[in-house]
Amino acid sequence: MFATPAAPARLWLRRHGWTAGVWLLLVVLVAWYATLIPKFGSFQVTSIAKNSLPIVFLSIGQAVVVIGGGIDLGVGGMLIMTNAAAAQLMDGQSLGVVLLIAVGVLAATALLNGLVGWIINVSKVPDIVVTLATGFIYSGFALMILPSPGGGTAGGFRYLFTGSDSGIGTNFWPAVVMVTLPTALVAQWLIRTRTGLSIYATGSDRNASFLSGVRTFRAKVVAYAVGGAFAALAGLATTALTGSGDPRFSIGANAMLNSVAAIVLGGIALTGGIGSVVGAVAAAIILFTLNPILTAIGFDPNTSQVIKGGLIVAVMMVAGLLELRRRRRE
Amino acid sequence: MTAAAAARPESRRVAARFVADHPLLVLGTVLAVLVAITGVVERDYLSFDGLRNTVLFAAPLGIIAAGQTILMLTAGIDLSVAMIATGAAYVAGNQSPNGALVAILLGLTVGLAAGAANGIGVGVFRVNPLIMTLAMSSILVGLFTSWAFTILRGSTAVTDFIRAMGGGAFWDNRIPWSALVWAGVAALVIVGLRATGLGRMLYAIGDNPVAVRLAGVRAWQVLLAAYVLSGLFAALGGILLAGKAGAVDLQLAANFLLPSVAAAVIGGTSIFGGVGTYSGTVFGALILGVLNSLLTFLDAGQAVQQVVYGVIVLGLAWLYSWVTSLEE
Amino acid sequence: MPDAAPGPGNPVTGPPPLLSARGVAKRYGSVVALRSADLVVQPGEIHALLGANGAGKSTLVKILAGVIAGDAGEIAVNGAPVRPRAPSDAMAAGLATVFQDPALIPDLDVGQNLRLTRVDEAAVREWLGRIGLGDLDFDAKVRELPLPVLRLLDLARALAHDPQLLMLDEITAALPADQAEHVFAVMREWKARGRSVLFITHRLAEVMRICDMATVLRDGGNVATVAPSAGDQQDLVAAMLGDVVDEAAAETATHAVPPGAPVVLETRDLRSTDRVNGVSLRLQAGEILGIAALEGQGQDRLFDLLAGDRRPDGGEILVNGQTLHARSPYDAIRQGVVLVPADRLMALLPQRSVRENLAAPLYNTVGRWFGLARDEKERVQRAIDRLSIDTRAQRQARRLSGGNQQKVVVGRWLAAGFRTLLCFDPTRGIDIQTKAQIYDLLRELADEGAAVLLYTSELQEIPLVCDRVLVLYGGAVVDEMAPLAATEEALLTAAHGLARPVGRGG
Repeated sequence: MFATPAAPARLWLRRHGWTAGVWLLLVVLVAWYATLIPKFGSFQVTSIAKNSLPIVFLSIGQAVVVIGGGIDLGVGGMLIMTNAAAAQLMDGQSLGVVLLIAVGVLAATALLNGLVGWIINVSKVPDIVVTLATGFIYSGFALMILPSPGGGTAGGFRYLFTGSDSGIGTNFWPAVVMVTLPTALVAQWLIRTRTGLSIYATGSDRNASFLSGVRTFRAKVVAYAVGGAFAALAGLATTALTGSGDPRFSIGANAMLNSVAAIVLGGIALTGGIGSVVGAVAAAIILFTLNPILTAIGFDPNTSQVIKGGLIVAVMMVAGLLELRRRRRE
Repeated sequence: MTAAAAARPESRRVAARFVADHPLLVLGTVLAVLVAITGVVERDYLSFDGLRNTVLFAAPLGIIAAGQTILMLTAGIDLSVAMIATGAAYVAGNQSPNGALVAILLGLTVGLAAGAANGIGVGVFRVNPLIMTLAMSSILVGLFTSWAFTILRGSTAVTDFIRAMGGGAFWDNRIPWSALVWAGVAALVIVGLRATGLGRMLYAIGDNPVAVRLAGVRAWQVLLAAYVLSGLFAALGGILLAGKAGAVDLQLAANFLLPSVAAAVIGGTSIFGGVGTYSGTVFGALILGVLNSLLTFLDAGQAVQQVVYGVIVLGLAWLYSWVTSLEE
Repeated sequence: MPDAAPGPGNPVTGPPPLLSARGVAKRYGSVVALRSADLVVQPGEIHALLGANGAGKSTLVKILAGVIAGDAGEIAVNGAPVRPRAPSDAMAAGLATVFQDPALIPDLDVGQNLRLTRVDEAAVREWLGRIGLGDLDFDAKVRELPLPVLRLLDLARALAHDPQLLMLDEITAALPADQAEHVFAVMREWKARGRSVLFITHRLAEVMRICDMATVLRDGGNVATVAPSAGDQQDLVAAMLGDVVDEAAAETATHAVPPGAPVVLETRDLRSTDRVNGVSLRLQAGEILGIAALEGQGQDRLFDLLAGDRRPDGGEILVNGQTLHARSPYDAIRQGVVLVPADRLMALLPQRSVRENLAAPLYNTVGRWFGLARDEKERVQRAIDRLSIDTRAQRQARRLSGGNQQKVVVGRWLAAGFRTLLCFDPTRGIDIQTKAQIYDLLRELADEGAAVLLYTSELQEIPLVCDRVLVLYGGAVVDEMAPLAATEEALLTAAHGLARPVGRGG
């Protein structure tokens, strides 16, 4: 009465094929990049790892929200808001104070975005509309906190994300740890804990979740709070990378668009409940790495952008066709 | 339940039904209050001169939001409108030496091409509209940034005709020409949505795509038409913006993307599709226009403006959702 | 479980019943789902909840389980009043439910689903062993498991919660006979432990075999509470159906399809994955051809294929003698083959007006997009008149009653015109009057020369409406009957894939 059990390898591939494929693609791309430039060493690894931190964090946050059945168009606004707040508050402070500020900014943003999740639940306004609005509000806050680019942070704080006090160097360990540790933690939290599973459940089938006693309200609030925390982390990483704050609206808007593209390429369904943070992170790094690769091949940044957009469309079209064929066979 | 306890929810329901049945009355009230407040803040506002600036801002926004409204009715969205508008403006600026007609037609071609590409991606390949139009936006940014230094190098100033259309006014400089263009677009869209088969299908596909398929409609045809229309309206809006500014640059319409969605949401169009009107969006664009003027008079700056935008969108969306839930 | 204390103002003599529900009611807008239902379940009892489709059984269960809130009524468990506002509340009060739709998350694996609900995995494993699923792979994704397994998994999970009262909503409907036996064994054991089971089913034989008491609902209210015994099966049926049986039976009459009427729809060895396995049928103009089948015998897929919503893997469909190569329903509709789908919500534009709903098929080609059909008003009005659609709430179709919604779904084809009507369970969950109207309409349409293919889940209606019946089992036609021979019993026997007893039917 069971469907014939598929071979374990095939089963694994069906479950994790997309994630594995995205990581494989990342490895291939980096290897290709290594052959394109005269010297590929720890400087380049550091550069890729640290510069992809903001988009990686933003994608993790977006991934958690989307897995829970929502979407957060406000992550970009949160990024510039936390970047502005951190740069404004941290300027000239000692490392201890700076770290306290970082924790405070993180917690405050998580709380604020948890409130957004609460509003979505209570108002029954679609996620996309609420977060469109909160995105405006966050961006406004960013400009209020820091009217024009500026501010600063402590060298030690920059080291934490970039591996050097000046933000430029060859020590790739801090950045690599910053990518892998949160990814692993969130991925495990999502599939091992009851709260994490309830986020998957809410996104997969809200009605079945409710019937089996899952607190879908709470799951949504938690997902948005975690999304907020990671958007704040992205803002903090930006502060550490640039050593300053920049409240420009377009930076947030671009980052938000990239986070959505990254999670979709990473195999997370915008309908919720499907996909993994691990794939989204690889896709986020790919989106970043394409820039230096296309530059190395000789494309100017504008052509690179066209190619990137075209690639996203092509991948999504192929995915759409595959899905159509799969449904026909069912 | 006692009679008194029953009566209150009943009166609430009546109120909700009233709001639901007369959404334009509510929006009109909000608009009137905002205009009055602005008039109090700045005496000169309540004149042709004062109101003209609001309309000059609201007309391109309203036209861009026309496409957004059409797409939201189909449960879609177009995040590439700002770049389509900018691209169309760029082409129109570049072609200005060849005459206004050529400039405008070639500008609209940008909207036609980008909209058709969006429509094929969403309608035929079933790419999520958010992703499709986002990627399109990114492609257009790249294309026009590089073209600005190559094939589109040269004139960035638009001809006098487009300048008049986007920024000029008639009847003793009282009524902006762009208001006239907008009125034409509004008539076309309102009648089109109400009294054509395509209008019916746009609503229907957003309301229940399965039902539409079972009625024999091929969804991709409807979606393709919708995205092409959105592209064309965005392009027209961009050309008006170029006329208003007098010259084009790559940031021309960047700040119109989210307001175009906001105008439709404020006007009562559901992002889930099937419900909404363009007349609502017209009010939405006017409300955002008056807000823009008010905040300028208050010297509030962009920061406050964005927060206010956000609060207005959230507040009205909440009100609509509350009304619908009470109606049940 | 909290101590069983008699509720205040609830004088008791003797132990209170395990569950008592009084005057439970629920309405959705203008539609009354449950008028006023009473239900009393004693400890150590298997209690059947019976009723025709739409009688309110599922609504009552959902209220007891905390899925929806009732508008009125009192519920008490062991004498203590409870007001479950979420399924978790009901579970805490000792009520565990297996719903009609599996309450399992499709994108998680079995183990994750169990962890999600904080249930003892070992206990689930043990119960699974007893219902013949000891070897279930906990790493399997729920989406990839067949429906019967999901129902049983839901059951094992409910049992592992160790509830006072186990509520089973139509659990045997999707189960093969051997697994249904496992379920009955578990129910008996539950009873032996002094616990109770509330069992919702359509199958009276099951009620006779294992239930101690039965509560019968009709039109949202109680009509009887009886102890079923072998003799009174007919009484139960009468209680469930009310007077309908007699009224309807009086209308039974055979209609002769005119000899030599053209075959308008024909299939030859039609196949689709493992759902449809070689169906050949012929449908003549002026004929109503019935399809009888239990759940999940490929009838839905068959209708999808005929409507052009899916391409067959093998065989062919002929419309008026011409092979139909449908890429989408449009191609079938152009040939005059139209579908009234299983779920009326599939074909309804809930937020649009009745007029827009009825006129929708008129605009299915680009050529008709640039205006409105000149005769739209007349066409729509004709459909409204013919079906006597109640247009008081016409601004949004979702505000109509279920029966009127169904009429709108049928009516769009009256407005647009057709030759062959595929009707998939058009009377599910609608009131008796509308049902009669729809059947009368089908007959009228057939008399006017249309062909109708009708699947209905209510077997007793088939002989009343159809000129001929095909019985589908396992994706193939296993029997064909004339209406007079198609008694509910004969149909059920054939629908289970069993041979008809000799000397009956024919």
